[in-house]
Amino acid sequence: MAQFRFKDRKTEELAAHLNEHSKAMDEKELFSFAAYDAGAGERGGYSGYSYWRSTIRAFRKNGVAMFFLLVIVATLLFTFIEPLLPYEKEPNTIYYSEQVQIDLFTRQPKLDENGEPIVKVDLSRDIKPGKEYWFGTNAIGQDLWSQIWEGTRNSLFIGFAVACVDALLGILVGVLWGYVRKLDFFFTELYNVFDNVPQTLVAIIISYILRPGISTMIFAMCLTSWLATARFIRNQVVIIRDRDYNLASRCLGTPAWRIMVKNLLPYLVSIITMRMALAIPVAISNEVFLTYIGLGVPLETPTLGTLVEAGRKVMSSPSLRYQLFFPVVVLAVITISFYVVGNAFADAADPKNHVN
Amino acid sequence: MAKYIGKRLLRSLLTLFIIITIVFSLLRLMPIEGYFENFEKLSSAQINVGLRQLGLKDPVPVQMMNFWKGVMKGDWGVSHKYRVGTPVLDIIAEKIPVSLKMGLAALGIALLLGLPLGILMAHSTRTRFKIGDKLGTVFVVIIEGIPAAIYHLLIQFYGSKLPGGFDMFFRAERPVTWILPIFSLALGNIAYYAMWLRRYMVDENNKDYVKLARAKGVSGGKIFRSHVFRNAIVPLAQFIPTSVILTLMGSLYVESLYSIPGMGGLLVQAIQRQDNTLVQALVLIYAAISILGLLVGDLFMALLDPRIALGKKEGDR
Amino acid sequence: MDEKPILSAKDLELKFTLRGKVMTALRGISLDVYKGESLAIVGESGSGKSVFTKAFMGLTDANGAITGGELWYKDQDLLALKTEAQWRKIRGKEIAMVMQDPMTSLNPLKTVGWQIQEAVELHQGLKGRAAHAAAVEALRDVGIDDPERRFRQYPHEFSGGMRQRVVIATAIACKPQVLICDEPTTALDVTIQAQILGLIKDLQKKYKLTTIYITHDLGVVANVADRIAVMYAGDIVEIGKCEEVFYDPKHPYTWALLSSLPQLGVKGEPLYAIEGTPPNLFMEIRGDAFAPRNPKALNIDFVERPPFFEVSPTHKARTWLLDPRAPKVEAPERIRHLKEEGVSLRVQ
Repeated sequence: MAQFRFKDRKTEELAAHLNEHSKAMDEKELFSFAAYDAGAGERGGYSGYSYWRSTIRAFRKNGVAMFFLLVIVATLLFTFIEPLLPYEKEPNTIYYSEQVQIDLFTRQPKLDENGEPIVKVDLSRDIKPGKEYWFGTNAIGQDLWSQIWEGTRNSLFIGFAVACVDALLGILVGVLWGYVRKLDFFFTELYNVFDNVPQTLVAIIISYILRPGISTMIFAMCLTSWLATARFIRNQVVIIRDRDYNLASRCLGTPAWRIMVKNLLPYLVSIITMRMALAIPVAISNEVFLTYIGLGVPLETPTLGTLVEAGRKVMSSPSLRYQLFFPVVVLAVITISFYVVGNAFADAADPKNHVN
Repeated sequence: MAKYIGKRLLRSLLTLFIIITIVFSLLRLMPIEGYFENFEKLSSAQINVGLRQLGLKDPVPVQMMNFWKGVMKGDWGVSHKYRVGTPVLDIIAEKIPVSLKMGLAALGIALLLGLPLGILMAHSTRTRFKIGDKLGTVFVVIIEGIPAAIYHLLIQFYGSKLPGGFDMFFRAERPVTWILPIFSLALGNIAYYAMWLRRYMVDENNKDYVKLARAKGVSGGKIFRSHVFRNAIVPLAQFIPTSVILTLMGSLYVESLYSIPGMGGLLVQAIQRQDNTLVQALVLIYAAISILGLLVGDLFMALLDPRIALGKKEGDR
Repeated sequence: MDEKPILSAKDLELKFTLRGKVMTALRGISLDVYKGESLAIVGESGSGKSVFTKAFMGLTDANGAITGGELWYKDQDLLALKTEAQWRKIRGKEIAMVMQDPMTSLNPLKTVGWQIQEAVELHQGLKGRAAHAAAVEALRDVGIDDPERRFRQYPHEFSGGMRQRVVIATAIACKPQVLICDEPTTALDVTIQAQILGLIKDLQKKYKLTTIYITHDLGVVANVADRIAVMYAGDIVEIGKCEEVFYDPKHPYTWALLSSLPQLGVKGEPLYAIEGTPPNLFMEIRGDAFAPRNPKALNIDFVERPPFFEVSPTHKARTWLLDPRAPKVEAPERIRHLKEEGVSLRVQ
């Protein structure tokens, strides 16, 4: 007699019971009514669907994305931990070594007029990576290792700030835009005008006019980028607003805000996460570019952009190439990680990909 | 169709007008050093005289009128730093040809390499191990994920070491020195086209009319040509503006990296030397090109998709 | 009905692999379709109706594979067809298909005429003007006025019902033997539905087509079908002539299906709905798949799959209730007198 299995535990128990007894069952028993469990048909089908559980599950199945997420988390943690570690060097300190000059004949320290030994100060410039300076030092004797982490911190700060402003303004305006029909025309025209202007160009003009610095850079990058987010949110709001099942829901008396919260909130959270992840590589990329054309942040604030630019200047001499190599590798790892994770999350957040 | 084109043209002009006005207003805030050749040596009285001569002390509406008149008449002001006293339009006119050639070549190469790559990837999604798709995706992720400034730099550096006489710097008379910058410029668009064409083709493959075509007994190759590829290429037309922008912005970096005497390099120099009139003129031109790109993209779409000219999908962008 | 069937499936088993898990979509299904008849396959969404008919055209999705059984078109063993090129001799030419949603089954960027002509050129060996004429003729056949002008128009210039006519024109333009209509009216307005069904019926007579309807709408079935096959969880549970299945149903699932007809609703009372959901096809199903949802299930329904019991030469059902040893269970009260009450199942 065949083994039979059902998905849920209760039906499984019943089946196990029958399995055990079916051999013993005579024909009469086999052809009598089975106990009916009204829930069995329900349980035997499909498990309850949860948007977040499915999103997370879909994301976790993506091994590559999980790996890069790990890289991001590790990088983020380390940028915060690094300055707290003992024996860490200061990013902006210019290191030097002191050497007491020795008289060749007397083999005694040379003395100056006051009888003090003469000390020669040697800037620790362009020292190759080693035990003392893990990533070496730069052209003026700063420790590249701590500079890179300070720069990563600053660059990520710029990226996160841009992403936050972008998401906040975008959502606020986007919801208004989609929900208040009178505003639709105004914002659509606004979008049509500004969508035409390259963002890099806007960033260039703004940085050119204002004093360079981290806040200028954030302002310049945010100025028009939120419009795209707002447009995206607006489309979602319009779709949700006009969907038949939501119209039906409204006819049944569900308040509009409740429909919005129920349907829009999951979207919003996933949009913020996704745009955050994708805005960071763009922001870093813009920063590198602005630094190159001379509109970057001042040198005393290291960023990945300023470090790459400093490295670029010395790249023609092979012995100093490490000054370009380290910042580029760190920057590439960070931007690629965010890019991959952002895209993978966007895929995972799409309910179309939640089928099993 | 004619009505659509007319409407679309009008809208572009309006956008251009608004943007120029905004740029004009913004640039009133430019640091005033940028209007003088030797700012540090001038007394404040001299500066005031200078500003008055340039019309910068007039009331703003008057300035605006003069500015518009100037733009219309082709009088865009003279350079104050880059090449003192030369009309900026003359300087720009001299730089346009090389930029134009490079930009068009880069766009052409991007199409030539990007579309086949996208097709290859889309095809590969239907094979067992999807090797082509995976390799292509790695390429796309690297190019899209790493800032363009970085890979431009690396291409210049490592490319110039290849045999064949590539150089770190551009010389117009040596054709081989054109290759690296053009390839650099094209790279972003190659990845971009490949990624989107692949996505659209995969989408198209699941469309009902493709299934129906299979049910009709149409061969795979023909379905691919006249349904999948044909339809996937339409939404791609709307990326024309983006790729124009991508090329423009890329040219800023690439041109100055290779010392190419083009517009992109010029803008970087104008910014570094703080030449206000030159910056202003170049920004206007760049904005105009971007808008032109958008217009061309929309017209292409209308040409390829019979639904658009009828206004069925307007406002869909 | 002792002639040879035009289409035949024997113990067909079809499995999909979805992210490492195996889903059995068809569980040893058997069906014979005879020339000139009109058969309706009825079942809930996910019961495998579409998968089944697509198998006849070799259009199973890439992650699906037939793992057992036989499949025949006339004397052609369909499972012996290996390449796409071999399948193309069947598709469109011998067996044509009309899909559910006319709004999406036409390429929006090609003229309607082009899409019909594409099929004509392929299967009738016509070229140029002759192909054009044949396509126009097909348009006229499906009742589209001014076909010459309509030929040059794009799908978006057609209404939903008109587009479905175009899809039908594409299908019949190649003079196929079998026409599979996959939910041909589901996406259409009720008023248009009757017209489209009428059109298919007329064309069936005119071209002596064999038609297979896939539907979950019993009203459609009553309108057009000679025979009905009721599908549940990848298998046919009951098959018979239209009247037999409607007026003398034997399987508990058919009972449940008929009970949920809105026409049987009593004012003021909630409509009947079948409790539970169809079984998860990723799980192995033993016994009668409907048993967990059947309040009157027998113990044996959980143990062994019922065989087909013949009710009449044309009517059979897969249920242990027809076994002589089974207790006598009557069909539910509300569907027992469908015939006497003359409940109108026709939508016209």
